[in-house]
Amino acid sequence: MSAGPGLKLDVKDFSELFPQGEDLQRQVGSRRRKEGWAKYLFVFVLMLAIGALATLLYTIINSAFGITAVVNQVEPDELVAAAGYDPAITALEELTYDDLVGLLQVNVSNGAGRRLERERRFYEDRLVWESPEIFAELCSSSEPPTGCDSAPRGHSDLLQMVNERIVEPTVLDAWTLFDSVTRREAIELEILSAEYQEDNPGARPEFRAWLSWQFITSPQNPDPELAGVRTAILGTLWVIAITIVFAFPVGVAAAIYLEEYAKPNRLNRMIQTNINNLAGVPSIIYGMLGLAIFVRALEPLTSGAVLAGDAPHLVENGRTVLSAGITLGLLILPIVIIASQEAIRAVPNSLRAAGLALGATRWQTIRKHILPVALPGILTGSILATARAMGETAPLVVVGASTFIVQDPTGPFSKFTVLPIQIFQWTTRPQVGFQEIAAAAILVLLALLLTMNATAVILRNRYSRSFK
Amino acid sequence: MTGHATHTNTQNPFRKRRRPFEALVKAALFASGALSIATTVGLVVVLTQQALLFFFDPQVSLGEFLTGTAWQPQLGAFGIWPLILATLITSAIAMFVALPLGLACAIYLSEYASARVRGTIKPILEVLAGIPTVVFGYFALNFMTPLLRNVFGDATVQIFNQASAGIVVGILIIPLVSSLAEDAIHAVPQSLREAAYGMGATRLEVSTRVVLPAALSGITAAFVVAISRAIGETMVVAIAAGAAPRNFAFGDDSMLGFIVNPFLSGETMTGHIVRISGGDISYASIDYTSIFAIGLTLFVMTLTLNSISRRFVARFRETYE
Amino acid sequence: MRKRFGHVIALLSVLALVLAACTATEATTTTGENRPPSTNTPGPDPITDDGIDAATGLPVIAPIDYSGDIVAMGSSTVFPLSEVVANEWIDEGGPNITIDSIGSGAGFERFCETGESDISNASRPIREEEVSSCESIGRIPIEFRVGTDALAITVSAKNYFATDITLAELAVLFSTAQTWQDVRAEWPAHPVAVFSPGTDSGTFDYFVEEVFDEDDAPILGSGAQFSEDDNVLVTGIAGDACTEGDASSTCAVGYFGFAYFVENEDVLTALSVEGVEPNAANVDAGAYPLSRPLFMYSDAGIMADKPQVAAFLTYYLNNVSRLIADVGYFPAPAADMQSGVDALKEYWDSAG
Repeated sequence: MSAGPGLKLDVKDFSELFPQGEDLQRQVGSRRRKEGWAKYLFVFVLMLAIGALATLLYTIINSAFGITAVVNQVEPDELVAAAGYDPAITALEELTYDDLVGLLQVNVSNGAGRRLERERRFYEDRLVWESPEIFAELCSSSEPPTGCDSAPRGHSDLLQMVNERIVEPTVLDAWTLFDSVTRREAIELEILSAEYQEDNPGARPEFRAWLSWQFITSPQNPDPELAGVRTAILGTLWVIAITIVFAFPVGVAAAIYLEEYAKPNRLNRMIQTNINNLAGVPSIIYGMLGLAIFVRALEPLTSGAVLAGDAPHLVENGRTVLSAGITLGLLILPIVIIASQEAIRAVPNSLRAAGLALGATRWQTIRKHILPVALPGILTGSILATARAMGETAPLVVVGASTFIVQDPTGPFSKFTVLPIQIFQWTTRPQVGFQEIAAAAILVLLALLLTMNATAVILRNRYSRSFK
Repeated sequence: MTGHATHTNTQNPFRKRRRPFEALVKAALFASGALSIATTVGLVVVLTQQALLFFFDPQVSLGEFLTGTAWQPQLGAFGIWPLILATLITSAIAMFVALPLGLACAIYLSEYASARVRGTIKPILEVLAGIPTVVFGYFALNFMTPLLRNVFGDATVQIFNQASAGIVVGILIIPLVSSLAEDAIHAVPQSLREAAYGMGATRLEVSTRVVLPAALSGITAAFVVAISRAIGETMVVAIAAGAAPRNFAFGDDSMLGFIVNPFLSGETMTGHIVRISGGDISYASIDYTSIFAIGLTLFVMTLTLNSISRRFVARFRETYE
Repeated sequence: MRKRFGHVIALLSVLALVLAACTATEATTTTGENRPPSTNTPGPDPITDDGIDAATGLPVIAPIDYSGDIVAMGSSTVFPLSEVVANEWIDEGGPNITIDSIGSGAGFERFCETGESDISNASRPIREEEVSSCESIGRIPIEFRVGTDALAITVSAKNYFATDITLAELAVLFSTAQTWQDVRAEWPAHPVAVFSPGTDSGTFDYFVEEVFDEDDAPILGSGAQFSEDDNVLVTGIAGDACTEGDASSTCAVGYFGFAYFVENEDVLTALSVEGVEPNAANVDAGAYPLSRPLFMYSDAGIMADKPQVAAFLTYYLNNVSRLIADVGYFPAPAADMQSGVDALKEYWDSAG
């Protein structure tokens, strides 16, 4: 900082440069007032920013929970009557195991019954849907289905099946959480009103948390009441794992090279400029790159065909977890590099000098002295970048994440879907319930982000503690 | 071999020893750095390949592409300006929101807030930076647009409009601006602040007259990253700004009333790309190759922006050791 | 450094997630993939072999007897329908299927150029250039008509005057009309706001074809507001300012898939077109003028290589008319589905 304007060096009495007496009082007073206002202004702005984000969160939570108008496809009483009991005396829950199997036999398709039986038998000693010959053949094969040696299903399992497949409660209308809390009675009255009942006989109000454990653990389903995000969560975790495995080591390595090794020559300057430029390239363009290179050109590699050799592999094209992971990896690579560079640059030069002076090689100095100190900074930057990758939709649409897939991804060469794509898909559907499960899926994604950030904070604190 | 090496070492203790491992490490690190060049080459090749197909199409002329003010592939009009203009308008609005708010947040967090407040708010901002942009898109449409229509009137504000998309993109990048700017502010040596406080400066004066100028290069860099992000933002504008380019004609259309009116709908470059690539059109068509030409333009734009900012940063950079 | 319990919990939840991921993965590997070879062969199933589907005359399929992947890609309009059918297919133990909602054009590209999909979903018939690129990779597309999507011409529920419209009036309304009076003299002079699906959607193509005779210049020049997302259009139309007595208030109009109208009947009104009310009976009877066909495409070679694809298509045609109402579309007339049914009959005859 150079000397301010108007400072005359030849003055004898400095006091004439500064206000005196009342002038001073006035000036100090006005500066203090400004200071006071400024603080309020800053807090106000911060609240404005956080308020905007809070409003956003509010709108999400608002639709993830709330009262719904539910109607059963088949009333439980009818089922009780069909099983030969008096609905006035017996409830559905009180039916025997055999009665429930009987209900399922009548109402569930043969194919579904066979699948359920192969998954888990209904009786120890006999089969309900599957033919004994086929079942015996299956069980003696090299990969017997789980139904061969697991214990028979229980009463509660069957009850849930009857409920989901036959009673099939369907949501007709959904109200927001805000409405559900403030006008609960009015909504309930509306659902039970004659007018509403005329259109939807048997409708009843029911509070529903669209975000539930069942939602998290179920696979995708076109029915919003049964749909879940398990496949999408696993897809997101797999893709992000590949992204981290790719971008973190490469990014940190590149940052070390640029900060510690690179001489300021043309080539290195070009690399640096180039990285800065890449950081500004829109994500959708990376999607185009991923499509052309990983999905198309390197297809044998990304589809797993090379590794699998002659053995049949999981999918026959390059639209795999691996392609998506590396595409997102390339997308966040410049951000990881730049953040790591900043962190490495912030390490005091004295540490470097000390290491080298003690006879350590350059790499030893970096590994033992510089990296440990820079790591917290590197982690923060990398995690912010990964969080961004997690919410990316556009490049994965181009690379080709699947929209409907119920099989969980099992490795880098699986087909997959991710949460943001699932969310995007659901928001465009007209039927009641899809907007609500989209909101619930957003909350799941946020929870994943929070978990990641929390892990980062732990790691960050840990490392900075041991090197302070 | 090893014996020989030891032998020569005893001969001349000051001779620089060969370290194959060190060389290997250096090579590996260099390769990682050079990967970015490969990425760029890949991007340029992929974009240019298809873009050339577009430019060699008899329907298209480069001159029209660069100067035309109508983008109507169905009618053979390929002037990129409607798309660029929408991109510029939404980005400008976004920056108008994000810069002051983000910077003020950064100053507050680093200069005013206690460690505890900072420790609470910073992670919140970081998490929110990860919300999928699709979510912000629906926020723009279902919250911001009705708000704008209430304030300015339904007649003025179209249901899809660039203002709403721009404001929400701005909100979306506040955490980014604040986080990057705060890092830059944080890097200003404490001694500068202490010197200013020692002279009797208030916190506001320290922040605005000492810290900000000292961190200017870092803050500028943060702004440029934010602008690039705003220009490249896709889902928000695709959902909330509209799905058709707003073609215009100089002379016929009024400047403020139509051409740069943010309350009208418009389609940005990214919005157009994502719409076409997810649309029902045939991939052999000129519509499809056109998005690569737009992608290339977008790439060149962000590139230019970055170069300008780096010039600026290099010029005003203050270094402290 | 402060210690926080939150960190421990967070770490635990990460562990839990990873564990859940592992167990879930194992479970599906055993049930989904790696079916024993004995069930690989296609053909009649000992239990359900009593059946020929009454409506189509095709064999009744037991999905559980098939294995291998099925990859379907294409139209986002057909997607919900395929999703519902695929869900039943999987519920009945059918092998793994993925459906990508990427648009008809992209679907044909992946079917005809890269050859990576087995089935292409489309909301428009395949174009000639697409057929020829298909042929160049040795695929001859077979068309399967699966259903019908009706376009609803809707105004907001606040609109108090419009109840019906002709195709000729639609052409005026979606192009040059400034006020509703320009369309029909007896209507009040409210300004018009026009909403349309994006220019790259099959819905737009279909509308232009029917109303403007394939010339999209008028609607593009009309100042219409476009969105790729039909829910967004609903928001736009329902949010107009249409008020009786205030001639300066804008009254909106737009068109989109009938399913979006059904779900928003409380805020929208659908207009009759050429005097025909848009409802299931009229669409089924082929009387409603704005109904568009939905298709799937596959190829005989693929079906021969992958019996599960033929089985899925057969299962699809047998069940689609029962399931289609769930997603808000209409069953295709049996006559239109016949060519697809015939192609599959040929397959089953030759497969024995």
